[in-house]
Amino acid sequence: MRNGVVITGMGVVSSLGDSPTALHSSLCDSRNGIRPIQLFDPTGLACQLGAEVPAFDGQSYLSGKNLRPLNRTSRLVASAAKLALEDSGWSESLRSEEEVGLVLGTMFCSLQTISAFDRRALEAGPRFASPLDFSNTVINAAAGQTAILHNLRGINSTISAGVTSGLQAISYATDLIRTGRSRVLLAGGADELCFESFYGFERAGRLCRSNDTDGDFPIPFDARRNGMVLGEGAALLVLEDAAFARERGVEPIAEIVGHGSSFDFSQGRDEQLSAAAVGHSVQEALRDAHVLPHEIDCLSASANGSPAEDRHEAQGLVLGLNGQTHRLPVTAIKSMLGEALGAGAALQAVSMVETMHGGVLPGIRNLEEVETDFPFDLASRDNQEVDVRIGLINSVGFDGQCCSLVLAR
Amino acid sequence: MNRRRIVVTGIGVITPIGAGRELFWTNLLAGSCGIGPVRSFDTSAYKVHLGAEVQDFQPELYVSNLEVARLGRASQFAIAAARLALRDANVELASLDRKRVGVSMGTTSGEPREVERFDDLVVAGKLGQIGPEFLARYPSHLIAAHIAQEFQLTGVNTMIPTACAAGNYALAHAFDTLRAGRTDLMLAGGADAFSRITFTGFAQLGAIAPEICQPFDRCRKGMIPGEGAGVLVLESLDHAKRRGARIYGEVIGYGLSCDAHHMTAAHPYGEGAVRAMTQALEQSGIKPEDISYISAHGTGTPTNDRLETLAVKSVFKQAAYSIPISSIKSMLGHTMGAASAIEAAVCALAIHHNRIPPTINWETPDPDCDLDYVPNSARVHEVRIAMNNAYAFGGNNASLILKRCEVAN
Repeated sequence: MRNGVVITGMGVVSSLGDSPTALHSSLCDSRNGIRPIQLFDPTGLACQLGAEVPAFDGQSYLSGKNLRPLNRTSRLVASAAKLALEDSGWSESLRSEEEVGLVLGTMFCSLQTISAFDRRALEAGPRFASPLDFSNTVINAAAGQTAILHNLRGINSTISAGVTSGLQAISYATDLIRTGRSRVLLAGGADELCFESFYGFERAGRLCRSNDTDGDFPIPFDARRNGMVLGEGAALLVLEDAAFARERGVEPIAEIVGHGSSFDFSQGRDEQLSAAAVGHSVQEALRDAHVLPHEIDCLSASANGSPAEDRHEAQGLVLGLNGQTHRLPVTAIKSMLGEALGAGAALQAVSMVETMHGGVLPGIRNLEEVETDFPFDLASRDNQEVDVRIGLINSVGFDGQCCSLVLAR
Repeated sequence: MNRRRIVVTGIGVITPIGAGRELFWTNLLAGSCGIGPVRSFDTSAYKVHLGAEVQDFQPELYVSNLEVARLGRASQFAIAAARLALRDANVELASLDRKRVGVSMGTTSGEPREVERFDDLVVAGKLGQIGPEFLARYPSHLIAAHIAQEFQLTGVNTMIPTACAAGNYALAHAFDTLRAGRTDLMLAGGADAFSRITFTGFAQLGAIAPEICQPFDRCRKGMIPGEGAGVLVLESLDHAKRRGARIYGEVIGYGLSCDAHHMTAAHPYGEGAVRAMTQALEQSGIKPEDISYISAHGTGTPTNDRLETLAVKSVFKQAAYSIPISSIKSMLGHTMGAASAIEAAVCALAIHHNRIPPTINWETPDPDCDLDYVPNSARVHEVRIAMNNAYAFGGNNASLILKRCEVAN
């Protein structure tokens, strides 16, 4: 027997709002989180768009706390954690009696901090490098800083898996609760937008080549897609042992019923293997959830407008869902949030929970013509009314990681 | 309850005192020291100059399916250690279902040399020379991804960057994954490459020893940064028996906790370390006095060794005085994310051979460190159950317990 795992709260800090409701209504209003970059000077870059969290410094969420040691990623995480803890009723005094833990998915944590620390040593000499900054160069810095700020003494772990980081973190946390190792965990993901990582993606040719401020790009699953746009943010779920949540009289907002993952070792060079990995991840999640393909009521796809990965996902979903994708309502919220890396899939989870409660699945912004051989008849730029008992969240990384999560109302 | 038992059947290590299980173990018992002047970059601007680097590493010996030039140094170490572990375990990958073989790796910094190259170019005003290789080599999840690509594995693929305790986290995750029946066999451990950023940071914290690493000695002055990789083959006992594998030991439990106190300094009473050890003992279903060897985190810094001793005494009480505890970091330096994976391998080998490696450079007793640290010479000692302790930035604590595998036939 394994323990049930429920979601009892959510916290988000995103380019489209700082609450699950605000995020979801922005998505349903087809608002665009993607704008010209402000965080650094993008002169000379082929792509100059990003989905930034506007005017963010964390102070408004974390007043009274010493934020000096926290970089942008740590502040995003600590803010989302604060909101999630409030949403689920885990007050400071309750947290002093229960070991609440944190499992954070992040691709880079803060590449800006790592690089700035090193450049300071290069330019001024190693004796001028800051020991305080050094502690923030480790990839688990945001999880550690957030634990200190909110007194989270339970399991503290960080998972790096590119785009799939947030979903892998939620899956990892789910297993810790199922096996009784934890009763309460914050789980999700975060990444910051900064020049260093942006430049890496730019040079790798992964960003879309349009700087149209009307926001015609990125367009997931569309035949015209030509790359993604980077985003940022943090999204955390409060996961609890179902029996424990019941005991403390809390009404769960959703249940995690299954997860699965898989790896594509072909490095994208073999379409069949890439699709098979996506399919296998979905199948593993359905098997874990004891759910059949026809029982899935809607899908939140990973698609971010990347030519290859969107195709692998579309083809893989056909395999994973046994061909039953044509009548499946599907959304791709990265059309509005960009690719927020560690936060990306966790934001998908938050939005899915909102869809379960509100009955509206956001449309895919900018979508005009779904690539002809993609198996989605119900992918649309318009919102869809849905009655979701079971929702599937899918995530496909650039380096072979695939992860899938099944939520139930 | 019929729980799957998980055993260690293969060990692969790349360390400053030698590659491969046999050479490493021989050198370790002989008290060999892998510490010397740093070769990988110029340390003349620093007050300290020693490191524990892997000398004369030849990646071509281990990497056959990927291009060596495409891989960062930590990935090269990780693939090498994985290949050695598979060979040691006598695993025929062709006979396994590759969907059921996974990877779980830990790291502190991922591939920091790739950021250092980025920073060198930025400082030199040659930003334009940064190409697609930065994103293709830097992100930390590539360490686990590269192992799966090299060996064509499509199972669970997880990267856990929880700093200096990451190896234990990765092994714990592999243990849970196998227990849950998600995979049949896991390659699990940790890897880190010697890094300017890490060296600079520890130098600025005043944590690097000027001459020797002498854990638990009254005159100890610090740690020595190192590099390497350790990978263990873990599989279920049934799977191991079916293929007639040699079994080094059984993983029986672990404990993870967070101090939530300070990013780089341990809790003044080792509170989190105590919780991690206590949970590991409870979940393994054993009593403190059942432990016959403790592999210490034992970095050699004045504070770590004092607090670790304090924590061990508060868990083990009087029994602490009769349990041998040693720190192989006296010989290998601190191999960062690889450290606790290599140390877990040492626990398995201590159980297999009934030998305990020494803490070298130990001369002067310290009243605060008054346990049996196995000074200077290896010891013949019956090791039935071993505890592997690791502590990390972010206040993370991880204790893993391995036991002699007693099989009822």
